[in-house]
Amino acid sequence: MNALRRGVRNAFRNATRSVGVIVILAVAIALSISMLAARDAVNNKISSVRSSTGNTITVSPAGFFGGQGGGTALTTTQITVLLNIANVTAVQAQLSERLSSTQTNLTSPTTAGSLGQQFGGGGGFGGGSTTAAVAIRVIGTNSPGNSLVGGANGGGTEKLTSGTAFSPTSSSDVAVVGTTLATKNNLKVGSTFTAWGKTITVVGIYDAGSTFADAEVLMPLATVQKLAAATNEITGASVVVNNVNNVSGAVTAITKKLGTAADVTSTQATVQAQLAPLNTVKTISTYTLFGAVVAAGLILLLSMLMIVRERRREIGVLKALGATNRSVVSQFVAESTTFTVLGAIVGFVIGLLVSSPITSALVSAEGGSSSAPGGFVRGAAGGFGGGGSGFTPPTGAAAAAGRLRFGGISNTITQLHTTASWSTLVFALVAAIVIAGLGSTVAAATITRIRPAEVLRSE
Amino acid sequence: MLNVEKLNKTFKTEGGEVHAVRDVTFQAADGEVVAIIGASGSGKSTLLSLLGLLDAPDTGSIDMNGTQLGNLDAGGRTKYRSRQVGFVFQAFNLIPNLSAKENVKLALEFASWPRTERDTRAEEMLAMVGLDGTKADRRPSKLSGGEQQRVAIARAFSAQPQLILADEPTGSLDKATGQKIVQLLREAANTQHTTVLVVTHDEKVAKQADRRLEIEDGVLTEIA
Repeated sequence: MNALRRGVRNAFRNATRSVGVIVILAVAIALSISMLAARDAVNNKISSVRSSTGNTITVSPAGFFGGQGGGTALTTTQITVLLNIANVTAVQAQLSERLSSTQTNLTSPTTAGSLGQQFGGGGGFGGGSTTAAVAIRVIGTNSPGNSLVGGANGGGTEKLTSGTAFSPTSSSDVAVVGTTLATKNNLKVGSTFTAWGKTITVVGIYDAGSTFADAEVLMPLATVQKLAAATNEITGASVVVNNVNNVSGAVTAITKKLGTAADVTSTQATVQAQLAPLNTVKTISTYTLFGAVVAAGLILLLSMLMIVRERRREIGVLKALGATNRSVVSQFVAESTTFTVLGAIVGFVIGLLVSSPITSALVSAEGGSSSAPGGFVRGAAGGFGGGGSGFTPPTGAAAAAGRLRFGGISNTITQLHTTASWSTLVFALVAAIVIAGLGSTVAAATITRIRPAEVLRSE
Repeated sequence: MLNVEKLNKTFKTEGGEVHAVRDVTFQAADGEVVAIIGASGSGKSTLLSLLGLLDAPDTGSIDMNGTQLGNLDAGGRTKYRSRQVGFVFQAFNLIPNLSAKENVKLALEFASWPRTERDTRAEEMLAMVGLDGTKADRRPSKLSGGEQQRVAIARAFSAQPQLILADEPTGSLDKATGQKIVQLLREAANTQHTTVLVVTHDEKVAKQADRRLEIEDGVLTEIA
């Protein structure tokens, strides 16, 4: 029987103490696993929120908002140069226009209602009686793909239900229309309608899940600029930045470039405020993670120290019989490693079981104390129309990005999912090694100082 | 052959310096049983520690079959303890969670005895001290005091050392058992050709030795 086998066997010499040490280690390791899982889940959520919502800047003509107000349209040149700004990865420009009943043969599925009467004069609604159909909103865009998967057009959740989108650089007389508008006017892919005296071919139909958005028409930017006699005009743009941390700098650069001609806004501040509780949870979990590992190491260290003191005579006898320091130390390291490995296995299982509820409890507690604003929050790409040509509320089918426009953000953010990855398992192993190392160090130093003559003299 | 020349050892205590061993000189032949008699605090256990290289003398020399033990480094002293010396303690000092056989095998492991021969050797040694197979598999707590001391003797002789140092080997035993243990030490010394030094304060035990030495205040003298 070599030193390692003796060490493993010694770990079970005192059953009560062994169980106690293993349970305490398991609890500490379970806590650290839970904190690691919580930290990973929070990190993933923060990355997800940041990548989906926090890196977009809205540019609209100064004084122009929600299809109301005044101001002068921006130009294609003004918007195109924004691509040269550092960290800007894309610029999605759009031109919002309205088709009155004299300019199209389409009929809007939406009636004016009381809001149309109230805002009809200067806004996106038609005005007149409450039963009159409102004007049809046309959006010219150079990023139809993005619009159709979530971006430029307000709610940003349009899903193509039939047909295809048009090319971003297209100047053809084509359109993708909303579901309710298509139903109201019996439009299918391949159907035509008239706008500004031209025949427009329907190439696709989308469903946004919103009454307003589904009554709209998407067309190539160049086509709308040409047909609406708005050459080079832009009523809004979404500027995409490579990283949420660069949004602030990009806003400054855009403002400097466009001057007083444009209102430049971003959701960065809102997102950062909403993410603050998650960042707090991340900090707490990080400190608790290291605290738990250190605590486990200290527990093992003190336990091993106690065991070494208790077996002082035995160590003296082993040395008297000719055991080397290395052999005796190996025996005790094997004993502490046995405790740690068993603690790590039990702790890993417990950690996996409790990580989800612990994470939820942590995030809920922090989210509850956060100051998330209520009601609508200005969205990145058009919570209010993505450029100001109409009031487009977020839709019910919105993903996290869409939901973030509401004050209920924290409800979405607190929905975290913890998972056990290989990295978690590797962490458990590394933690076990660190704990066993910490726990054995002082014991090993004590063992090497024990002189057999002193131990045996005290007989 | 053990040859000890002018061995000295002092300890510093709160009450001053204690000269535990003073100019100790003696020889012991192979297979000889030598009893060292002395009262508590006379220096007999210190002398055994010096001879077993558990402690280093201040001055003097210990020669074992031509090897000057004072010249050994730490590794050499450990090797000497594992291969050339066997200890028998008053309190037996068996490892409590190992069986009698495993305790004997432990000494063989430290002496780098061939792994494949350890089992057989341990069984032989336990048989030599009168412990059969069943008792060989028992832990010390399941053995009587006399049986535990037999295991300790088997352990001490197992690696065929040249010197056995027995510190009050009968101190924890009744008289009858003590007599048997001393007899066992004698027999083992004869069969293994091993020098045995028995430290005791019991005259009856000492009288069974080939020679008797007395230690008083660290000074060793031969008893005629």
